[in-house]
Amino acid sequence: MDVSQYLEIFIDETKEHLQNLSELLLVIEKEPEDKATINEIFRAAHSLKGMAGTMGFKRMQNLTHNMENVFSEIRNDKMKITASLVDTLFQCLDALETYLANIQETSDEGTDDNEPIIKLLNEFLATEGEVKNNAAEAAAPAPDKAESSAAPAAEAVSNELAKYTNIPLADFEKHAINEARKKGMKAYGFTVYLDPNCILKAARAFLVFKGIEEVGEVIKSDPSTQDIEDEKFELDFSVFVVSNESYEKVLNIIKNVSEIKDAVGGELPEVHEEQKNEVVHETQRASSDTHKESTPAKTDDKKAAPAKAGKPVANRSVRVDIDKLDVLMNLVSELIIAKNGLVSINNSSDDAVAAGRQNFNEQIEYLESVTTSLHESVMNVRMVPIETVVNRFPRMIRDLSKKLGKKMELYMTGEETELDRTVIDEIGDPLMHLLRNSADHGLETAEVRAQRGKPEVGSIFLNAYQDGNNVVIEVGDDGNGIDVEKVRNKAIEKGTITAEQAEAMTDKDIIDLLFRPSFSTAEKISDVSGRGVGLDVVKSKIEALGGDVEVKTKLGEGSTFIVRLPLTLAIIQALMVKLGDEQYAISLGSIETLEDITKDDIKFVNSKEVIHLRDMVIPIIRLGKLLDVESTEEDKDNMTVVIVRKGDKRAGIVVDSLIGQMEIVIKSLGSYINVNKMISGATILGDGDIALIIDANTLV
Amino acid sequence: MDTLTTSQSTARQFIVIKLGNEQYGISINYIDNIVRMQKITRVPKAQPYFRGVINLRGEVVPVMSLRLKFGLPADEITDKTRIIIIKLEQQSKVGLMVDQVNEVVTLSDESIEKSNIDANNGMAGYISAIGKSKGELISLLNIQLAISDKEQTKEE
Repeated sequence: MDVSQYLEIFIDETKEHLQNLSELLLVIEKEPEDKATINEIFRAAHSLKGMAGTMGFKRMQNLTHNMENVFSEIRNDKMKITASLVDTLFQCLDALETYLANIQETSDEGTDDNEPIIKLLNEFLATEGEVKNNAAEAAAPAPDKAESSAAPAAEAVSNELAKYTNIPLADFEKHAINEARKKGMKAYGFTVYLDPNCILKAARAFLVFKGIEEVGEVIKSDPSTQDIEDEKFELDFSVFVVSNESYEKVLNIIKNVSEIKDAVGGELPEVHEEQKNEVVHETQRASSDTHKESTPAKTDDKKAAPAKAGKPVANRSVRVDIDKLDVLMNLVSELIIAKNGLVSINNSSDDAVAAGRQNFNEQIEYLESVTTSLHESVMNVRMVPIETVVNRFPRMIRDLSKKLGKKMELYMTGEETELDRTVIDEIGDPLMHLLRNSADHGLETAEVRAQRGKPEVGSIFLNAYQDGNNVVIEVGDDGNGIDVEKVRNKAIEKGTITAEQAEAMTDKDIIDLLFRPSFSTAEKISDVSGRGVGLDVVKSKIEALGGDVEVKTKLGEGSTFIVRLPLTLAIIQALMVKLGDEQYAISLGSIETLEDITKDDIKFVNSKEVIHLRDMVIPIIRLGKLLDVESTEEDKDNMTVVIVRKGDKRAGIVVDSLIGQMEIVIKSLGSYINVNKMISGATILGDGDIALIIDANTLV
Repeated sequence: MDTLTTSQSTARQFIVIKLGNEQYGISINYIDNIVRMQKITRVPKAQPYFRGVINLRGEVVPVMSLRLKFGLPADEITDKTRIIIIKLEQQSKVGLMVDQVNEVVTLSDESIEKSNIDANNGMAGYISAIGKSKGELISLLNIQLAISDKEQTKEE
């Protein structure tokens, strides 16, 4: 069967299931008695196994199969959840993730069998199974369990050969089997293996069916008869047969078809009664599916669940190819350009056409409202809740807690806050880094915490919320905070700054040093963090996304890193300004106010130009000079200053004149031209001219 | 030079452009479009040979002056000045400002001679071969090198 077309779906869904499992394991660790969660875990593991099997990833299937056995025992109250068991299960998830990563890269699961983990799982099964045996006097299914755990290898092998035992039967099929049995017929299941060199697989399979139909009736086949006819199977298929003939006879008929390598089969267990054991391998009964068929009371709920678990109940989102969204986005961009064109025609029309103008204006207003809402809705499609990124953090903190030997708890709020998909894809690593920082450097050891009268369990928090045109993500802890003096000394010692410079620097300046490349204050380098390649990477990544990061800290009380990210990337509201003959756009998001000042308002501090505005001293930036604009009218008495803000910092940008506010589409300048950091892109104006976009954040 | 080879035939087509007194050939495989001179928006702090960006039907395309890139005197814009839009990869166009676009010539392999000019000599590094057509010599450009930034920094 060609499954490559499903690979992407498989990868996506497996990711979902793994994430789900990881979350559920965290829950179950805290509430080991929660039945609903255990059931959910079992279902997720079962779907994983099924999917891996369908895709032909045998190792992955084997591992999940063993996990499933464990969950099944837990569900049946035969095993208790212990911390070490949860650890092992997390190892399983890691191993599965490795498989998945391999599959994603090479379409192949790799060759690691992960035997140690499987062995560990089976040890859990074995020990718990024995306990059970001694405690309760061999209740009916118990020997099976013991057997299954005692001979896991044998089970895996026979299970792999007699695939039919894992195929669930629908109600009507069971009914058909029972009806046939009433007439004295017998029901068998077979898994037929074709010779690997067989060329006409469908034809051979057809001969098998034909042979069977001479002596009996095919109740069900897997894959379906249609798929078999279309050769949509690999080298084996399974059939369920009712017949008056003996098992051996039917088996012989099948084996007599040429190019059939082997056929494995047996009489089916009774569907609605207690198990009947004929030829079926003893160990098979332990495997969950057969078991399900044979325990009528549980058939309904169990059967329904695994069969449908592949389609997740919770997630109702549609997966959309990001490329398609990009196309849509570009269309909107064009629309906005067209609209801007109309606006500019309107402005340049003279009085002669004034008559038709009323209508024209209405049209423009309409177009404007359409484009604005279209923009919003398209942006919304691109928006993804940050949950998709942060939901792996609880697991990470749990692992860190064990590794570092510190007790800690992660509190997250605002996981539903949405960000543009492109930002979401990039933001995971920086956030992870900040969290590791908090866990490793932020939180004190238990002794220090006790001394300081803090609760033993350290708190790490991650809060996300929307703030105007930005999304703010705060990552912090109630730990030690940043020791500014220590940083200052370290910086001098490292030669990053001189002692004199250090004197003049504010605490904030010192803290900013932490974001310089290769600057780490951790006394010893640990596995978790402290190699000095951290905060600077975080900063540059976030800045590349058009955001910024700042720190608030209080020694002894903790520190918080505040990451600010733009909500949208492609279309922004901007203020158009004029410098000489050239037009530039400044994002409205970073503009605080517009001020008219006179030449006398400009004062000098440290030989730099500043203005004093409402009790704030704001540095002045001559944008025209920075951009080498010719013939800027430098020495006007009245000047227009655009006050821009980044966090707590402000700057005043001197421009020649203001043109107005405009919705602009950000375009890249292409890869060949070197663009200064000040320029974040270009946009096409209504008259076809190009204006460059100034990134005010780099000026502050 | 390999990069200029097309798979289907030994004869290759070049657009012949003029810079000063010399003729240069650009393989038509890389040419997306040729447009007349239009308004160029200056981009501050870019490489000196970049004249700025133009609006090519809604797309922002950077334009470089081949004259400045090759160390020739700056362009004098006339009504013959053209911008050749080069597209080496998807979504990444670049314009080359040239004095004049003359014609399209088809050169067979026999009429192309590998350049033996000293590679250290200024713009010679951008020239992959010399083509002969109707008694005239055409310097065939290695367009990847000509528009890449690396060669420039090496020269400086």
